[in-house]
Amino acid sequence: MATITETRPSSGAGGSNSPRGKRKTKGQILVDWVTTTDHKKIGYLYLITSFIYFLIGGVMALVIRAQLAAPGLDIVQTKEQYNQLFTMHGTIMLLMFATPLFAGFANVLMPVQIGAPDVAFPRLNAIAYWFYFFGSFVAVSGFFTPQGAASFGWFAYAPLSNTTFSPGIGGDLWVFGLALAGFGTIMGGVNFITTILTMRAPGMTMFRMPIFTWNTLVTSILVIMCFPPLAAALFALGADRRFDAHIFDPANGGAMLWQHLFWFFGHPEVYIIALPFFGIVSEIFPVFSRKPIFGYKTLVYATIAIAALSMTVWAHHMYVTGSVLLPFFAFTTMLIAVPTGVKIFNWIGTMWRGSITFENPMLWSLGFLTTFIFGGLTGVILASPALDYHLSDSYFVVAHFHYVVFGTVVFAMFAGFFFWWPKMTGKMLNERLGYIQFWMTFFGFHITFLIQHWLGVIGMPRRYATYLPEDGFAWMNAVSSAGSILLGLSIIPFLWNVYITYRSAPIVTLDDPWGYGRSLEWATATPFPRHNFTSIPRIRSESPAFDLHHPEYAAAEAKAAARR
Amino acid sequence: MRANYLLWVILTVFYAIVTAGYYLWWTLTYTGWEPIGTAALSMLTFMSAFLAFYLWKTDKSQGTVPEDRLDANIEDGESEMGFFAPWSWWPFFAGLSAAMVFASLAIGWWIFYISVPLGILSIVGYVFEHSRGQYAH
Repeated sequence: MATITETRPSSGAGGSNSPRGKRKTKGQILVDWVTTTDHKKIGYLYLITSFIYFLIGGVMALVIRAQLAAPGLDIVQTKEQYNQLFTMHGTIMLLMFATPLFAGFANVLMPVQIGAPDVAFPRLNAIAYWFYFFGSFVAVSGFFTPQGAASFGWFAYAPLSNTTFSPGIGGDLWVFGLALAGFGTIMGGVNFITTILTMRAPGMTMFRMPIFTWNTLVTSILVIMCFPPLAAALFALGADRRFDAHIFDPANGGAMLWQHLFWFFGHPEVYIIALPFFGIVSEIFPVFSRKPIFGYKTLVYATIAIAALSMTVWAHHMYVTGSVLLPFFAFTTMLIAVPTGVKIFNWIGTMWRGSITFENPMLWSLGFLTTFIFGGLTGVILASPALDYHLSDSYFVVAHFHYVVFGTVVFAMFAGFFFWWPKMTGKMLNERLGYIQFWMTFFGFHITFLIQHWLGVIGMPRRYATYLPEDGFAWMNAVSSAGSILLGLSIIPFLWNVYITYRSAPIVTLDDPWGYGRSLEWATATPFPRHNFTSIPRIRSESPAFDLHHPEYAAAEAKAAARR
Repeated sequence: MRANYLLWVILTVFYAIVTAGYYLWWTLTYTGWEPIGTAALSMLTFMSAFLAFYLWKTDKSQGTVPEDRLDANIEDGESEMGFFAPWSWWPFFAGLSAAMVFASLAIGWWIFYISVPLGILSIVGYVFEHSRGQYAH
């Protein structure tokens, strides 16, 4: 296919370590990255930036856990500092780590998986990244102001978030920074939808797209549905804080208005950061089970069902306000467990009687599955209003959403990193260091968060800076904090792994280093050429690369697919 | 392709049902109605319907395209795909000036007066970067 493009004389296919061409100066490399419109480079920018925010948010979490390890205010000086820590930990992890991580993976992989040379709007893609980059910086820059960053919790309930209770410029920076980053996310979503609808390669019908691409499409639909209400709500909050607009004034029902608008965004947001990572593991399970994905169409329908339902469950975060329609939201929330269960069934069905090997991507995917199932089960418990009245705003909820979000985002992120690292950089990450990192993360995570369920049951509320010795929370908190140290240390093998891989790992020359890759990214060179393909194989099923590399199985699989 | 717009048709129907259900369920349980959720859900319905209509119209006028044919070969799609900017400074400047505008709302008006002209400059640069005049492409 013809694409009109010129490349700079200096930029070879593989970037700075390209075999042909002169080595670029540092300035040229910087300009290359800042001015790039290549979807893969923008994707790498997203991945790198969001990973840095992951580290920052992680350090904040470690300080929070250190503070809670024993009764008393020993680590942070004031409760206000503690409030800023948990507020910014939540904000960073949700909106500056997990959401752009989706944009990163989608940018790098989705166009390649559908056989496109780039995304539909390359410059819009770049602008979306810079909105995220600068918006996030504005939002966290509150830490550099005298009063510190926002401290009203990441969901900024009114009236706590107004200037009476939260004076200080940190809150204003938070509001407007997030608004800007939110616009970036919306632009990214529009770009992904357009790309998937209009730029598929010939023969790549909607029902031949890889599951990851389907999940990108559905996630982007969620983005354009739920981020605009957030932008509106943030602008209204900004108007309240800066211009005394009284929109979220409790005197005229503003407290409920904010909660409704925020959670109308906030709940789908959870699925925005979950669905792409479901997509990642859906790519990995078939490859390491040597079987096609089990129930391709049911997986797609389940994804659409989750997306549709996720817009109708928002007020389950608001049960304890006493002014929401409890049976309606309990019903829809429990309903959403059904398509999620279908997905888990499909993943297990994919592994069932497959010849499984436990390379790092597969191991991390299994870590995801285990952790996420726990989070899903406690989700059903919390969906029931009778139980939620007791558990709401306790550590049970904290444990629940960390299981859901850490399970999906972090475990699946590392699965994706290990899986696509050779495709992105041309080198394989070290497997042994990956195993060490996996077991440290797995045990660190479960020691930290499993015990928090019981902390919640015996009544420890979330967001309290400290507790008394006679509360009886001390030993459980100590266990949790000990786990968090292990969890924090688990990042060291990964960083070391990245470093030694960069320094000394051999260069991968195979198109498909794992041997059983299924979607189109495994049918192009490693690392990707500038416009992704020098030639695209014929597309006759949802796994064109597998058909290309293993033609002996292609006919049988096509026949089975036709029967479905 | 049918799947393109059918996806949005399904969402439209689903949200229409949910909006009606939410409104009625609330009205029958309590007095009055709950305006925020009802408004949000009905706007979702409207947006889905809007996109369904647009994609359906496009699909009808476009006919069958190679990417929707089960037996298409790669060479069937051989035509100009469009223009892809090889690099651009403007997204960076647009992002930077937009960030200054947004930050000015939090910090103070004096940044606003500086950043809005910069923002207009970036938008003009962004829009006209590859322009060769009307009908010249």
